[in-house]
Amino acid sequence: MARDDQRVGYGLPTVLAVALHLVVVLFSVISLPSREPEPTSSSIVQATLVSTETVTDQAQRAEAARSRALAREAEEQRQAEEAAREAEEAAAAVEAARQAEQEADTRAQEEARRAAEAAEAEAARRAEEAERQARQREEQEQARQAEAEAERQRQAEAEAERQRQAEAEAERQRQAEAEAERQRQAEAEAERQRQAEEEARRQREAEEQRRREEEAERQRQAEAEAERQRQAEEEARRQREAEEQRRREEEAERQRQAEEEASRQREAEEQRRREQEAARQREAEEAARRAAEAASQGLDRAIEGESDAVANARQGQEAANSFINLVRRAVEQAWVIPPNVPGGASAEVAVRLGPSGELFTASITRGSGDGAFDRSAIQAVEQAAPFAELRQLPANLQRDYRQFNLRFTPGDVR
Amino acid sequence: MNDSMSIPHLIMSASTVVQLVMLLLTVGSILSWVVIFQRTFVMRRARQAHQAFEERFWSGVDLNELYRETPAEQETQGAEHVFRSGFREFNRLLPKTRSPQAILDGVQRSMRVAWSREEERLSLHLVFLATVASASPYIGLFGTVWGIMGSFQALSMTQQATLATVAPWIAEALIATAMGLFAAIPAVIFYNRLSSESARLLGKYEDFAEEFHSILHRNLQGRAESGAA
Repeated sequence: MARDDQRVGYGLPTVLAVALHLVVVLFSVISLPSREPEPTSSSIVQATLVSTETVTDQAQRAEAARSRALAREAEEQRQAEEAAREAEEAAAAVEAARQAEQEADTRAQEEARRAAEAAEAEAARRAEEAERQARQREEQEQARQAEAEAERQRQAEAEAERQRQAEAEAERQRQAEAEAERQRQAEAEAERQRQAEEEARRQREAEEQRRREEEAERQRQAEAEAERQRQAEEEARRQREAEEQRRREEEAERQRQAEEEASRQREAEEQRRREQEAARQREAEEAARRAAEAASQGLDRAIEGESDAVANARQGQEAANSFINLVRRAVEQAWVIPPNVPGGASAEVAVRLGPSGELFTASITRGSGDGAFDRSAIQAVEQAAPFAELRQLPANLQRDYRQFNLRFTPGDVR
Repeated sequence: MNDSMSIPHLIMSASTVVQLVMLLLTVGSILSWVVIFQRTFVMRRARQAHQAFEERFWSGVDLNELYRETPAEQETQGAEHVFRSGFREFNRLLPKTRSPQAILDGVQRSMRVAWSREEERLSLHLVFLATVASASPYIGLFGTVWGIMGSFQALSMTQQATLATVAPWIAEALIATAMGLFAAIPAVIFYNRLSSESARLLGKYEDFAEEFHSILHRNLQGRAESGAA
C-alpha cells in the first residue's frame, strides 16, 4: 500500500494532460474548417437574360420573307411566260389587236417604269404581299384553268400596283376586279372559245402590260441583283426596324385579302393559313424550293446572299453574348435582395435602353408577388444602368439589344 | 477568409503580448491538468489504502503484529501512518512512565502530527489548482483587452473601417479569453471535487485516530487497575 503511493508520480499525469490538450487543439483545427464552408455558400443572385429572340427570330423571318419573294418572282416568271403564250395565241386570232398591243406596250413601259420605282421603294412590302398572291395563284392553279389564274393574278398585281399608287383607287379597282372575276367565271363556265374580242384584247393588253412589267422587273432584278444582295442585310435590318409598320401593313393587307377572299369564298383557307404560321412558313419554303428548281441563276445568288445574312446574324449573336454577360454581372452586383424573400421568388424585368446604353425604362413584366422584391429588381437595373458596353456592339446589333428581359431569381439567400 | 479566420492562423498572427498571455494560459492549463490527474490518482490510491487498512485493523489482529508487519524505515501513509506513529509513541512511553494520562497525551500528540502530515500530503498542489481557476480568466481577459486595444490602434491607421479589417483582430483577442476560460473551468471543477475528497479522507483519518486512542486508553486503564491490584 505504501508502494502504491510511490508510484503515483507526475509522469503519467503529464502525459495525460498533454494528450488532452493535443486532442482539444486537433478538434479546434480539424472541426472548425469543416464547419466553416457551410456559411460560405454566399448569396449568389441569378439575373438571367430571358428573351434574346430579337436577332435569331427576325433573321429567320427575314429569310422566310425573302424566300417567299423569290418564290413569287419565279412563279411570276413562269406565269408570265404562260400568259405571254396565251396572249400570242390571242394575238394571232385578232389582227387588229396589234395596234392596241403597241399602245399597251407604251402603257406597259410606263407601268413598268413606275412599277420599278415603286417596287424599289417598297420591296419589303411587295415581298409580303406578292408572297400571298403567289400562294393564291398556286391554289388557283390547281382549282382553275391556267389562263383564268394568270388573268386573276395579273388583275391582282395591277390592283396591288394601283393600291400602292393611290389608296383611293384601290376600292374602284377591287370592284373592277370583281367584275372581271365574275366575267372570268362566266367565261370558264361557258368555255374559253366564247371570249369576246374586246375581252380578249383587254386580256392581251393586260397580258402584254404584265409581260412588260415582268420584263422590266426582271431587268430591274438583273440590274439590282447585286444591289439586292447588298441590301439583303439592310433589308433584314430594315425589316426589323419597320416591323411594327409592316405588321400594320400586313394587317391592312390581310383585311383587303379577307375582302377578296370573301368574294372568292376562300376565307376559310385564309384563316387556316393565318392560324398556322409555322405551316405557312413551311409552305413558303416548299414554294421556294419549287421556285429554285424553276428559277434562274439569280435565285441561287439571292439564296447565297440570304445565307450570308443568316451567318451575319449568328456572328452578331455571338458578339452580343458578351454584352449580355456584362449586363448580367452589373445587375447582379447592384442587386440588394430584401430580407424575408420567399423561396423560389422570381421576377422578370423588361429593360429598354437608349442608343448609348442609358436606361429608358425598366418595368416588371412578371412580378414575384412580393412588392419589395420587385422593387429591388428594378432598383438593381437602375443602379447598374448606363450600359456603355452597348456601343461596343456592332451597329446593326445595337438596336436588337436595346430591349431585353432580365429574370431575377435569388440564390441561396442568407 | 476561411484560412485567415482559422484558430491556428489567428494565434500565429496575434501580437506578442497576446501570444505571451496565450502561452501562459496554455502552460497553466497543462499544469492544472497534470495536477488534476495526479491528485485524482493519489486520492483513489489513498481511499483504497485506507479501506484495506481498516479492514485489516478491525479484523482482530494483534496490534504488535500489525505494527511489525511493515519495516520501520518504510514510509507509510494515511490511517496506517497515524496508527504507526501513535503505536510507536505508545511503545516508547510505556516503559518510561506509569501515568496513563501522560502516555495518552504523548500518543495523541504524535497522532496529530501524523494527521497533519497526511493533510499536507493530500492537499498538495490543490492550491495551484485554485490559483489557476481564479486567475486564468483574468489573464485571458487581459489578453483580450490588449488585443482589442491593438486592433483599435490598427483601425485608426486605416482609411476605411470595415468589418473585414476589424474581425481578425477581435477574433484573436477573444481567443485569449477563450483559453483563459478553458483553463479555469476544469480547474474550478476539479479543485472543488479534490478538496472535498481530501477533506473526507482526513475526516476518516481523524475518526480512526480517535478510535485508536480509545483502544489504547482502554488498554492502559486495564493495566493500571491490574498493576494497582
